[in-house]
Amino acid sequence: MKDEINDDLTRRNFLKTAASAAAFAALPGIAVTPENSGPNDAVRYGFVGTGTQGCTLLRFLTTIPAGRCVATCDIYPPNLKKGVETIGSRPDTYEDYRQLLDRKDIDAVLIATPLYLHARMMIDGLEAGKHVFIEKSMFFKEEEAEQVRKVAAAHPKQVLQVGLHRRSSVLYQVAMEMVRKGALGRVLLVQSRVTTHSSWRRPVADAQYERLINWRMYREYSGGLMAEMGSHFIDIANWAFEGEPVSVIGTGGLDYWKDGREVHDNVQSIFDYSGGGRHYFHCMLFNGHHSNGVMIMGDQGTLDITDDRGIYFREPVAKISTGPAKENWWAGATVSKTAAQKGVRIFPQKEAKDSGFVDREVRYARQWLASMGIYEPEEPYDPYWGELVNFFASIRENKAPVVPLEIGTADAMAVIKANRAIDTGQKTSWTNKSA
Amino acid sequence: MRAAITRYEAAHEAMGTEFTLVAYGDDPQHLTAVGNEVFDEIDRLEDQMSIYKPKSELSVINRTAASKSVCVEPKLFELLVNAVDHSQSTAGAFDVTAGPLMKAWGFFRGKGHVPANSEITQVLRRVGHRHVHLNRAERTIRFDVEGIELDLGAIGKGYAVDRAVDILRRCGVTRALVSSGTSSLYALGAPPGARGWSISLRNPYDSEKAANVIYLLNCSLSTSGNYEKFFKQGAKTYAHILNPSTGKPVENMLAAIVLARCACDADALSTAFFVMGVERSQEYLATRRDLMALFYLPRSGGQGFRRVMLRSFCSNGIGAFFPRTRQRKSRATGAGTSVTLPAAFPAGGEQHGRTIHHYGIKKTAVAPG
Repeated sequence: MKDEINDDLTRRNFLKTAASAAAFAALPGIAVTPENSGPNDAVRYGFVGTGTQGCTLLRFLTTIPAGRCVATCDIYPPNLKKGVETIGSRPDTYEDYRQLLDRKDIDAVLIATPLYLHARMMIDGLEAGKHVFIEKSMFFKEEEAEQVRKVAAAHPKQVLQVGLHRRSSVLYQVAMEMVRKGALGRVLLVQSRVTTHSSWRRPVADAQYERLINWRMYREYSGGLMAEMGSHFIDIANWAFEGEPVSVIGTGGLDYWKDGREVHDNVQSIFDYSGGGRHYFHCMLFNGHHSNGVMIMGDQGTLDITDDRGIYFREPVAKISTGPAKENWWAGATVSKTAAQKGVRIFPQKEAKDSGFVDREVRYARQWLASMGIYEPEEPYDPYWGELVNFFASIRENKAPVVPLEIGTADAMAVIKANRAIDTGQKTSWTNKSA
Repeated sequence: MRAAITRYEAAHEAMGTEFTLVAYGDDPQHLTAVGNEVFDEIDRLEDQMSIYKPKSELSVINRTAASKSVCVEPKLFELLVNAVDHSQSTAGAFDVTAGPLMKAWGFFRGKGHVPANSEITQVLRRVGHRHVHLNRAERTIRFDVEGIELDLGAIGKGYAVDRAVDILRRCGVTRALVSSGTSSLYALGAPPGARGWSISLRNPYDSEKAANVIYLLNCSLSTSGNYEKFFKQGAKTYAHILNPSTGKPVENMLAAIVLARCACDADALSTAFFVMGVERSQEYLATRRDLMALFYLPRSGGQGFRRVMLRSFCSNGIGAFFPRTRQRKSRATGAGTSVTLPAAFPAGGEQHGRTIHHYGIKKTAVAPG
């Protein structure tokens, strides 16, 4: 446990110095800024919504020279101030995002506002000719999918990227390569969870700002845990199954934090996919035992990802073949099996020195992963940082974003249907698909 | 139409290692069901015999048999009788009560440490099969001092292999190999088209090299070696096989390999022979039947190892044999020279200073049973 904490701190220190994109040139999924690019041809962007999540992104943006923040916008003055302090580039500030969009010298807009505002702001951004980065979940209401799709189709040269940052995580990219290359066999179940003992409440200085600050608690603005937490893992399951669900069942309730909020604090849902796969997601706010994570389970193996640690477990499966094989078996002192029980970390954070059987096994397992071309030594940067680097690279190099409209739409739609299943108690199907 | 030959191979974690089963038959569904049965039985045995699980029958015995007689499940009782017999016949070189010693040296859940001599003396008071009393009529066990702990670690995996073979035979499987993490194997029949199951005996210095290759047919083989479980303290390496009479790790032995009719015997005797060394094992084998032993011994003052093979009287052969007589050509002359390898400790053995002792009927090879 102590090691984990130390490793974590080491990683954070590493990230502080991770401003040099060139260092990551060889990594998959990361677009690297060309060396000759300086601040002069940086993407000029405005940032809308500088609350908690907005400032998280702004902190990463301070280390990305490919973009330059020239304007920020928030309707809540303390957050507006916090945003300016965080980015440190003395941006112009706005309370009305439309004024920010009117500026012709702004190429792109990044949006981290409450969910119910996403579609409107995304559409306005695209129509104002801006490249758009929109936080997840992409939109709030089912009918918004078509509205956004139409506007995006009318502006094909503008990048539209959704903030599903795990798509920019090397850990998850390796995980999905393991899925594609068959390391897990036939994947039939994804189990994911977000568990935390937290009120999910932000402090409000003045009661009149309750709904503004704690918008996540109110159904008028928020999709609750499914939108804010579930959307991440819904996308992981969609990624693993290479498609979107065909139906969902769910249940949930406000079981613990009975403080006037309207959204549930304990939700469960099961999504069915057309190939026979299923995704079970649960989220609770009264117990953090399992942290955040996902298990991808196939008939040949399991990939267990908790926070930023991924462990691969081989599933012992009988091999059946026809005809005799060349039999050659080994005899020797008992070979201990702790290595297999512990699993193999797909990102071992430090090279263990070879001190016996377990280390040897782990080394062989890594060699095996490497031979399949799916081994990376460790997560080299924070996925938030990665997704922002990717966004600017898509704009500057005129290429498809890492999370395009289709991925974001499938994700947001599944959030909406899961919430409907929970609220109605009915199995909810996707239209034109058999459940 | 005759069904095609099906080969089934599965692995299963149990008893701190991985059991492997390979079986041939004509029905994949049947073989799969038999495999499930075998691994279920191995799990059941682990639940019964593990000293790592407080709920196991063996743990209950260890906790209570010093204060009262404990009634034992018939199969486990049979195994305990067998274990105590081996303890007696090897004069305690294999000792089913050596558990506290393993703990003192940190080989039980620990990382290994050298205990003080006084501690060893203390612990040795709680070691010794003479303190274990089995009442066959009542099927009960009783310890006559406090602190006795039975540990089946040096016989249980072999026993589990035997129980697996029982199931295979009962289910009509005639060609199979069962292995408990390479340390105990049983070769049932032979693979299709082969004379026996080819087994590479691990080089004690290199896990990827074979020191010998041997074929097995209806025969079991167990290995005790010092190269998988050990710890280092200072300049010295301490391996996990302890001499129950001195309370200290055995030195000057790399591996002892025993071939026997059942894996349970092979398992217990490989540990015993590791402790006893060549001379005492020789004496032991002189009074026994159907056993073979192979020792890998360190060379004094250098790398490499030497081999010593011992054999008891074998009535019908015990189903272990080595690659057949080879035609070896002298590179220097190019002339073909036929060399008959006695019991075939393979080619080149003589050059490495091999010693072969024969007991009972002298044969140049041990015929398959």
